[in-house]
Amino acid sequence: MTRLAIAISQERCTGCQTCVNACKMENNVPMGMLWNRVITVGTDVMDGAVGSYPNLSKEYLPLACQHCENPACMAVCPVGATYKDEKGRVLINYDLCIGCRICMAACPYNARCFNWEEPVRDPDFNYGHRDVPVRPRGVTEKCTLCKERTDADLEPMCVVCCPTRARTYGDLDDPESEISKLIREKHAYQLLPERGTNPQVHYYK
Amino acid sequence: MQKASTKRMSLLIVCALLTATGVGVWIYQITQGLAITGMNNGSSWGLYIACFMFFVGLSAGGLIVASSASVFGVRDFKKVSRPAVLLSTVCIIAAAAFILIDLGGIQRVFNLIIHPNLTSPLMWDVIVISVYLLINLVYLVLLRKPDEQRSARALAITSRFALPVAILVHSVTAWIFGLEIAKAGWYSAIMAPLFVSSALDSGLALLLVVLVVLNAARLFETSRKLIASLAGLLAVFIAVDAFMVLSEIITMAYPGAPEEAFVLAELTRGTMAPWFWFQVIGGLVVPFLLLVFSRLREKTPVVVVASTLVVLGVFCKRIWLLLTSFIEFNVSGAPGLAFGRAERTATETWTLVGTYSPTWAELLITLGVLALAVLVYTLLAPRLFGTLPTHALHDDDSTERHARADVLLDGPQAAAGTQAEVG
Repeated sequence: MTRLAIAISQERCTGCQTCVNACKMENNVPMGMLWNRVITVGTDVMDGAVGSYPNLSKEYLPLACQHCENPACMAVCPVGATYKDEKGRVLINYDLCIGCRICMAACPYNARCFNWEEPVRDPDFNYGHRDVPVRPRGVTEKCTLCKERTDADLEPMCVVCCPTRARTYGDLDDPESEISKLIREKHAYQLLPERGTNPQVHYYK
Repeated sequence: MQKASTKRMSLLIVCALLTATGVGVWIYQITQGLAITGMNNGSSWGLYIACFMFFVGLSAGGLIVASSASVFGVRDFKKVSRPAVLLSTVCIIAAAAFILIDLGGIQRVFNLIIHPNLTSPLMWDVIVISVYLLINLVYLVLLRKPDEQRSARALAITSRFALPVAILVHSVTAWIFGLEIAKAGWYSAIMAPLFVSSALDSGLALLLVVLVVLNAARLFETSRKLIASLAGLLAVFIAVDAFMVLSEIITMAYPGAPEEAFVLAELTRGTMAPWFWFQVIGGLVVPFLLLVFSRLREKTPVVVVASTLVVLGVFCKRIWLLLTSFIEFNVSGAPGLAFGRAERTATETWTLVGTYSPTWAELLITLGVLALAVLVYTLLAPRLFGTLPTHALHDDDSTERHARADVLLDGPQAAAGTQAEVG
């Protein structure tokens, strides 16, 4: 078995948003939506701090599909458009999606975007990877773990482009992989573990 | 009579115009996408889904009153079977319409049939609502000749299926929300009982309003006594609904856990407060106090006011129940979530909390569905009930009238029984 995943060091992440843009370009994500975001945890202003001077802290959290082992979005899809593939990625079959958006309500991480309108791109052409399917209006989309790249044994674009090398990509089912070692040694954690979704994406500090 | 038919004709014309407008805007929505609605990546459901819940609930009253009349042998309730089941049918069709209108990919809707996923509560609802609609239609057909031996027996059998399926329809609709562990305020075992109780009170309340209107329009006659006794039942349903809401609110409030506290604060003193408090006071407390005293509920205008308040209250409840849980994101922080529209300015692209307000397009489509429901009911009612002879309306509560109604619905034997009792 293979369970592809990403582990993210919050100690290394500087909130530069490079992964956000790399993802958008690679995956042809239209204007007004993002598959990958970097939020400043608990603040209402980007790069803000939490607490009161001098006891301040700041934490960045890159947030995209968590590729859960027990994906809430998959169970609720009435047409089975969301599925977990043999490499452990949570993917969407855009031809099946009827646009009911129950998956968006089911995802605890707000990881999914909907094509509310005819996708708008700026510049006005498909800037994504040539093999990335162009999604039509009326379907849900989200991080695919760069399916087209990872199928070709390349790392996801957010991993490649991170200037501080905060992201590690690999197979959780291989105990000798770098990601498995990191998760073990750094006591990595998952987001919202109490929801029982068991994300494959891990974070550590 | 001339005046009544003019009124009916103008109602039909207004409804037809509103329906046509709604259909027109829906076609526009299909060409433009759901971007013409107020929904976005934060609040991904809105007025359509609230109305879907609302109309599923409204359809309860009719079929549950009619089928429990048959299952538990409440003869009085049988008299209103026809208007009740027609109401139930119209409301469930409206509910199904809202689901279809809400779909972003209506052109792929056939995937529900050729590629179903049976773990989805939405799939369960598609199945249960289809069965429910079918049962309603069978019921309607059988009610056309209820005095025939064969159809009386078929009616008895159908009613035994109708009652549990009716309960299931509300439960499954509740599970679309109640099984979402992502959302504080939805994920709760009380969701199904709460939906059943809301369905019972709003459904019966709507039925009462419709019966009074049918009385006034001389399309179907219901005695004041029966209206009062249904209103008494409504008081009980309101109390049960209030109890469910109270149980849920106190369970959320007591531990003071942050997510539940956030939902509760939004409900009681935040953006959702007007909807919440209107439902609690206007939709539960006031109508209960109006209906709980038997002398008050014998006055038809009081019943109409109380019932209207219950229906409006449950609508408000659908709104707060749906939208409150979209406000807070479980994982939150600036800049928040990309809203989902390209034309918005850089600062508007982001949203820190889920926001929503319906657009004109949504309101017109919703109004269109509502008008369609009234239109279908108004068109089918006289065909199903026939018009009453004028003299029957004046001797209120007479033995003759009771006997006539029983002949209609229970067959000659039952009618003979009633006459013997009265005599």
